[in-house]
Amino acid sequence: MSKRDQFISRIRRNLSEVENDLMDNALAGHIDRRGFLAHGTRLGLSLPLLGALGGAMGMGTPRAARAAGTVGGTLRIAMTVPAGAIDPVTIADDGGLMVMMQTAEYLCALNPDFTLRPVLATSWSPNQDGSVWTFKIRQGVKFSNGEPLNADAVVASVERLVNPKNASNALSAFKGVLSPGSSKKIDDYTVEFHLDAPSGNFPYTMSSDNYNLVMLPANYAGDFEKTFVGTGPFKLEKYIPKVGCSFVRNDDYWGPKAFLDRVEFTFYTDMQPQVLALQGGQVDMLAQMPVASGRAILHNPQFNIVRCKSSAHNQVHMQCDAGPFKDKRVRQALALSLNRKAIIKGLYQGYADIGNDSPFCAAFPSTDTAVPQRDQDLKKARALLEQAGVGHGFSVTLTTEQFLEIPDYAVLIQSFAKKIGIDIKLHIESQDAYYGKAVPGQSDWLDSPLGITDYGNRGVPNVFLNAPLTSSGTWNAARFKNPTYDGLVTDYVKALDLSAQKAVSGKIETLLLDETPIIFGYFYNYLYATSKAVSGVLPVGDRPFLQTVSIAQS
Amino acid sequence: MGFYRALLYRLALAVVTLFLLSIIVFAGCQVLPGDVGRAILGPFADARAVAQLNHQLGIDRPLLVQYWSWITGMVQGNMGLSYTYRAPVAPFIGHALLNSLKLAAIAFILVVPAGIFGGIVAALRAGSWVDRSIVIAGLSATVVPEFVSGIVLIMVFSIWLHVFPLTGTAPRHAGVLEQIYYLLMPALPLFMILFGYIARMARAGMIEALTSDYTRTAVLKGLSRRQVIGRHVLRNALLPTITVIATQCGYLIGGLVVVETLFNYHGIGSLIFAAAKAKDFPMLAAGILVIGTVYVGANLIADLLYSALNPRISFGGRR
Repeated sequence: MSKRDQFISRIRRNLSEVENDLMDNALAGHIDRRGFLAHGTRLGLSLPLLGALGGAMGMGTPRAARAAGTVGGTLRIAMTVPAGAIDPVTIADDGGLMVMMQTAEYLCALNPDFTLRPVLATSWSPNQDGSVWTFKIRQGVKFSNGEPLNADAVVASVERLVNPKNASNALSAFKGVLSPGSSKKIDDYTVEFHLDAPSGNFPYTMSSDNYNLVMLPANYAGDFEKTFVGTGPFKLEKYIPKVGCSFVRNDDYWGPKAFLDRVEFTFYTDMQPQVLALQGGQVDMLAQMPVASGRAILHNPQFNIVRCKSSAHNQVHMQCDAGPFKDKRVRQALALSLNRKAIIKGLYQGYADIGNDSPFCAAFPSTDTAVPQRDQDLKKARALLEQAGVGHGFSVTLTTEQFLEIPDYAVLIQSFAKKIGIDIKLHIESQDAYYGKAVPGQSDWLDSPLGITDYGNRGVPNVFLNAPLTSSGTWNAARFKNPTYDGLVTDYVKALDLSAQKAVSGKIETLLLDETPIIFGYFYNYLYATSKAVSGVLPVGDRPFLQTVSIAQS
Repeated sequence: MGFYRALLYRLALAVVTLFLLSIIVFAGCQVLPGDVGRAILGPFADARAVAQLNHQLGIDRPLLVQYWSWITGMVQGNMGLSYTYRAPVAPFIGHALLNSLKLAAIAFILVVPAGIFGGIVAALRAGSWVDRSIVIAGLSATVVPEFVSGIVLIMVFSIWLHVFPLTGTAPRHAGVLEQIYYLLMPALPLFMILFGYIARMARAGMIEALTSDYTRTAVLKGLSRRQVIGRHVLRNALLPTITVIATQCGYLIGGLVVVETLFNYHGIGSLIFAAAKAKDFPMLAAGILVIGTVYVGANLIADLLYSALNPRISFGGRR
């Protein structure tokens, strides 16, 4: 037995059945390093251990630890103004989360490669069937108000969000996953979560992916905006609603200290002035930059563009229970009419990945990439319409929201559909009008025969698989009801190991490709722009963490 | 009717106007699509959370109860709590109003004398190339929207030449001169929009006054040209211009959403725009009432000025 094999088998003896399945997959070459790390961290294996195992299996060395940065300086960031009060319980907007995350931390956080890294939890592990998950809490951590981080704080933070009396924005993420009273303190630094149903991806529900779930002191009184109480690498200096805020380095931080002395955020109501501010040297970084607003600087060598793959996308739903799209051949035809590569180039200048009409994007390790990619095929599309008895075409209204690139996407779909004889009329309205009351009968989103809806980044496809597609899904605008599909999703959600997940994901992808209730044309990237002086931006899905950022002193 | 009685009458009318305005705003808020809790929590929030938040904010109460509790608070000087910021409205409004007044004042100080002067010069040389260029330049500048002129100004003066900052917001603790320096750039697009308008009104008024009987009489009785223009023509010529300027006050205080957005300046225009988008009724209503008050006040001052300049009309009837 070689030294390498000895190392691997010594480790394997201490691993559970589920963890060993991951090892089998890795050794057989079924998953790459990224997938191995993603699943390993999900199961609660530590990154150093996974790195060592991955190295022993020839997967290459793990990502180098932080590059050395310059200590000191103030980073000035332009960002979109938080939509309202900074309240971790209700917060839902990118602007608010961006400032909240400077001082408040999660149990675990999403890495750029969709793995999880321990933050305030040091490890986590499931029981045999994934119905109970145990989280170990980091010891010796104190909140900025002096309160200790312990199991009480964790249980209180979770219970606050699962309680329907608290107007909690995480309620939809916890629905069917975790109920009030199911979080149990085992000792001062161990918490058990008893799930409503077994779930293999539960750690993602406890991570930054479920963005309301920051850890707050057990006695938190609801005044976050005044104190920004947290355990994070920065402390609040000043917060002025609608104007801006600043943070200073927390020298008592439990982990590696931040490089920057200060971070200064200026709030803007629109993207264009932010881009101008970066061009004029008034700020060093844009917290977020949609491609459409950033064209002026995308190819300008004076700026760094940090690109982060994400699972964020715009869904094109087609109502499956009535109207022109009742016949799946019509739905397939519309999907086949689109030239996805041209759409990605036109809308995102290439900063997006192609979608295959299921929520499984290339970024998820559990995606079965063997399912053939759907491409434009006008001949086949016309034939399908002919078979469905609408060879002469038909007319339909596409309803959608005035939001980022969506209206442009609608126009592109309109022009592609025209090629196969489908006459699409556009109805583009404000986001408020589109979402309405967000319940069927009172929402253009859920009532329109054809519509486009934006979905943000998620670390695992669970939410995308459930709410918009299952028979009981609350955001099922496509009115897709398919018992086989529902069963497959249940299997996927409870699957603990990667091979089980992959087996199901392939079936789901194939089923959705055939039924096509929703067109997933692309998954776009998140972009951050900085001046050349800024380095170390660690993008995590839709939000950059600033702990590792440094700025060169001029 | 005496002066003070007339003033009281006007003030009472203003209160009635503002009261009606508050009802219109409240009704308007009910018609806006979506609801407040949904706007705060986002489309993907659980319906129970939305209902709970609406309950906490008190907007699940009957409409009349909501309006009554708001208006009684308002009468006692309590503007209420913002739905979105869950904090008292008054500091937001005060801060934004102060900012708006500063920007409006700078724009006003620049454009009013320049516009009137341009109009007078153009009228005195009516038909000449000077007249034509003032009229055409003013008209051309007026039709350029603020977002175009603003971006061009930013590109030229802030990004290429680096002579002006890109924002209207001066750093905290900035002195008066520094604040004025920061406000010059945002004031320029406003200058461009209003200059042509005011100059044309002044020019038309001047030309009318110059050809009137009283001017001919003044000339015929042997007054010098300077005396004719100073004493007789200007007083009459500027009357319509004053009305125009007064009506622009409402715009200068509350209508600058585009300029405020572009120069990231926190005025009352963008405050109420954001409040309207979020259906934040207390913030929206307070903002609109403040703008309404400014508007009513500006018109009152214009009327007073009018009567001071025109001996034929006096405020509150014959003196």
